[in-house]
Amino acid sequence: MKHRGRGIACMWYPIGFTVSANPSAAVVKVNEDGTATVLTGTVETGQGSLAVLGQIAAEALGIAAEDVFVVSADTDTTPMDTGAIASRTTYVTGNAIKLAAENAKAILFEVAAQVLGVMPAQLEARDRKIEVKGFPQHSVAIGEIAKRAQVTLGQPPIGSASWNPPTVAMDPETGQGKPFSTYVYATQIAEVEVDDETGEVDVLRIAAAHDCGTPINPMLVEGQVEGGIAMGIGFALQEEMLFDAAGRQINPNLTNYIVPTSLDMPEIAVDIVPNYDPTGPFGAKGVGEPSLVPTAAAILNAIHDAVGVRITSLPATSEKILAAIKAKRTEERKQIPA
Amino acid sequence: MDDKPKVAERERLDLADKLRRAEETLRLPAVPPREHLPVESHVLQPGQQFRVVGERVTRPDSRLHGLGLTRYIDDLSFPGMLYAKIKRAGIASARIKRIDTSAAEAMPGVMAVLTGREIPVNSFGPSYQDQPVLADEIVRHAGDGVAAVAAVTEQIAEEAAQKITVEYEPLPAVFDPLEAMREDSPRVHPPNSNIYTSKVIRRGDVEKGFAQADRIFEGRFSTQMVEHVPLEPHAAIADWDANGRLTLWVTIGRITLARADLARTLKLPMNRVRMIATIVGGNFGGKNEITQEPALALLSKKAGRPVKGVFTRSDEFISTTTRHPCIMEYKTGVARDGRILARKVRLILDGGAYCSWSETTIGKACILSCGPYRIDNILAEAFVVYTNKTMTGAMRGFGAPQVCFAYESHMDDIAKALGIDPLSIRLRNAFEEGSVSPTGQVLHSVVVKESLLKAADRFGWETRP
Repeated sequence: MKHRGRGIACMWYPIGFTVSANPSAAVVKVNEDGTATVLTGTVETGQGSLAVLGQIAAEALGIAAEDVFVVSADTDTTPMDTGAIASRTTYVTGNAIKLAAENAKAILFEVAAQVLGVMPAQLEARDRKIEVKGFPQHSVAIGEIAKRAQVTLGQPPIGSASWNPPTVAMDPETGQGKPFSTYVYATQIAEVEVDDETGEVDVLRIAAAHDCGTPINPMLVEGQVEGGIAMGIGFALQEEMLFDAAGRQINPNLTNYIVPTSLDMPEIAVDIVPNYDPTGPFGAKGVGEPSLVPTAAAILNAIHDAVGVRITSLPATSEKILAAIKAKRTEERKQIPA
Repeated sequence: MDDKPKVAERERLDLADKLRRAEETLRLPAVPPREHLPVESHVLQPGQQFRVVGERVTRPDSRLHGLGLTRYIDDLSFPGMLYAKIKRAGIASARIKRIDTSAAEAMPGVMAVLTGREIPVNSFGPSYQDQPVLADEIVRHAGDGVAAVAAVTEQIAEEAAQKITVEYEPLPAVFDPLEAMREDSPRVHPPNSNIYTSKVIRRGDVEKGFAQADRIFEGRFSTQMVEHVPLEPHAAIADWDANGRLTLWVTIGRITLARADLARTLKLPMNRVRMIATIVGGNFGGKNEITQEPALALLSKKAGRPVKGVFTRSDEFISTTTRHPCIMEYKTGVARDGRILARKVRLILDGGAYCSWSETTIGKACILSCGPYRIDNILAEAFVVYTNKTMTGAMRGFGAPQVCFAYESHMDDIAKALGIDPLSIRLRNAFEEGSVSPTGQVLHSVVVKESLLKAADRFGWETRP
C-alpha cells in the first residue's frame, strides 16, 4: 500500500569563506556610447553569474542590462577574484563591481556637473542619462558624457575597486567570533509517497521558500533552487559511492551510480522570501549552495511521516526503508499481549 | 477549381516564410532588436524608466547553450594537439618500488611520458599541501595518478598508459573513519595522526542546560560519499609559446588560486602563467583546485605541442574530490513546551586521503550543526580524519546538507515525542532578527520564521498536534 507523508526542514547558511579573506576585485569601463564593459576574475560555472553581475553594474550606472558586457576568468586580463565558491559571487564580486561602477560613475558625474552647471552631488544616473535630482528635464545622455570625458577632457570613465566581507577570527578554545559577514535562511517542505511493499519513495512536490536578500534576477534564483533540489533528491534517496574491501570504487560510472533525472523531479514551487541585506549589493546575498541544504532533511522527515520509520543513514534506499518497515512490524507484533 | 493552384502557391509561400523565419532565428551572432541598442537618442520618454535589479534578464550564454554552440574545452582544438591520459594506481595504500615506462615510450604515436619525480614541486592543496600531482613514492588511495602519457590520439594514450607497469609494496590501509581515529590504526600520512583538523564551539554551559531540561533526546545519523557529477568532466589544455610562457584553458571555478598552485608546482613566476576558464559545464565545488593541469603542462613542455586532457567519468569518480561522509551524534535537552535548552553535537568527517577543502567543510559543519535555532548552551565538536579513500573536499553546502539532515531529523523526533507540530516547534526556536549565533555573532536580516510560514502557506501545511 502507498502512504503519503509530509516533511519540513529549515536551514541557515553563510555567504563567503569562514573567517579567511576572500576578496574580489573588479574593473568597470564605460564606453564612448554609454555601454559598459566589466572585467571580473570569477568564472561562469553554469549558475548564471555573468547575467547577475552585469545587472549589478547596469543598475549602478543607470543603464540597461543589455548595455553591459562582462568579461571573465582570464588571469592575464581580469582582476583577482576568489572565484565561484562558497555562494559568494553575487555578494562579494557583486559588491566589488558595484563599487567599481560607482567609481566610473563619479568621473561621469564630474563631467556632467560642468555640462549641467550643478555640483556632482546633485546628480543621479538612470535610464541611460545623468540628470539633476528632482529636475529630470535637466539631463544629458550618459553616452554623450562618456564620450566628452574621454575625447574632450581626456578622463576615460574607468573605475576599479575591491571588496572583502568583514569577519572576526574564531577563538580556538570556544569558537566565539564572527566567521561570516552574513547568512541566508530557507525552508523546504516535501510531500512523498512511500510504497510499504517495496520501500520505494516517490517525491511528489516540494515547496521551497528561500531568502537570498534582494533577488537580482528572480529567474536565476528559481533555477538555482530547482537544481539544488534535484541534487538534494539524489543525496536523500539514490546516490552513494561504494568501495570494495580493498578500497577500490565499485560504481564509478553513471550506470551504477544513479543520479536523478527529469523524470525523478517533483513539482516544485519556489518562493523568494522578501528581504534586504544592507551589506550586499542592492541588498543581495546569495543562493547557490543553500538551495540543496534542506532537501534531504525534508524528504526524510516526510518518509517518517508516511510510514513511521526513521532512516538515520543516507541514502534512504528502498532496501533500507523496506527493512525498517519490516523491523517495525515485527516490533509491533511483539508488543501485542498474548 | 482554381482554388487548387492557390492552395499550392500558399503552401509554397508558407514554406518559404517558415524557412526564412527559421533562418532568422538561427542567424549568428545574436543580434538583439535594434530598439534595445543605445543609439540615436539616449533619453527615454517618461513612463519608459527601467530598473535592472529584480528583472528576469536573459543570461548572456543562454542562446549559445540553447543552440548547442557553447564551446567547452572538448570543443577546442589546436594544431598538433596531443591527448593525455593518466594512469591510476588501482591500489589503496602502497609504496611505489619501480615504474617502468619503456614499453609505453616505445609505442609509435606516444610523444611524452611523465612520472611524479619529474614534477618540480610535487604537492598542492588549499590548506595543507599534502596532495601530489602524481604519486611518486606513496600511493594513498586507489585513484592516485602514478604516471601520465601524451600521444597523438586518445586511443594511443590510453593504450600506452596501460603498458606502463608499476611495482608496488602494499602497505596497511584504513577505510573506516572511526577506525582511523584510533591510535593503533595505520597512518595515512605518517608520522602525523589521522585526525588532521578539529573544531570546537562552546557557548553557555551545556551540562547545566541538560540539568534544567525536562526531556533529553539523543540521535545518531550518518551520510554517504557522493560525487558532484557535473555534466562536463574536468578538462584542460596546456600550451607553451616559444618564450616559455604557459597558457592553460581550464574548467576551474577559481583561476586565481589555480594559477598560484600551478606556478608553485612548476616553479614558474606567476606572470609566465596565463589561465583562462572557459564556460564551465558545472562545478558544484568539484572544480575548485588543480588536478591534472601541472602534468599536462609538463607533458606539453616535453613534447613541444599543445596537450589536452579530458577526464573520463571513471576518472571523475575515482580521482577528484567528493562529499564528506559524516557521522553525527546529537544530544538535546528541551523544556516541556519544546524550547531547546542545550545541545551537544559531535561530528566525525571522513576526509579521504588528502585534506583538500576539509578545513572549510569542518568549520561550516561545526558552526551550522545546531541549526537556525536560539540555543543558549552549546557544545559542538568536529573532527576530520584521513582514510585511504578518494579525498573529500568542497561540495555545494560544505557539510551543511549533512548536519541539516541530522538536526532536522532530530527536531522531528523531539516534536513527535512532545506532541508538538513540526512547524510549531521550529517557529518556537527559530532565530530572529538580532539573535546570537553559536559563535556569538549577532545576526542581521534573519528571516527563518518568514521562510517557514511562506513555505507552509505555499504547501498548505495544516497544523496537527
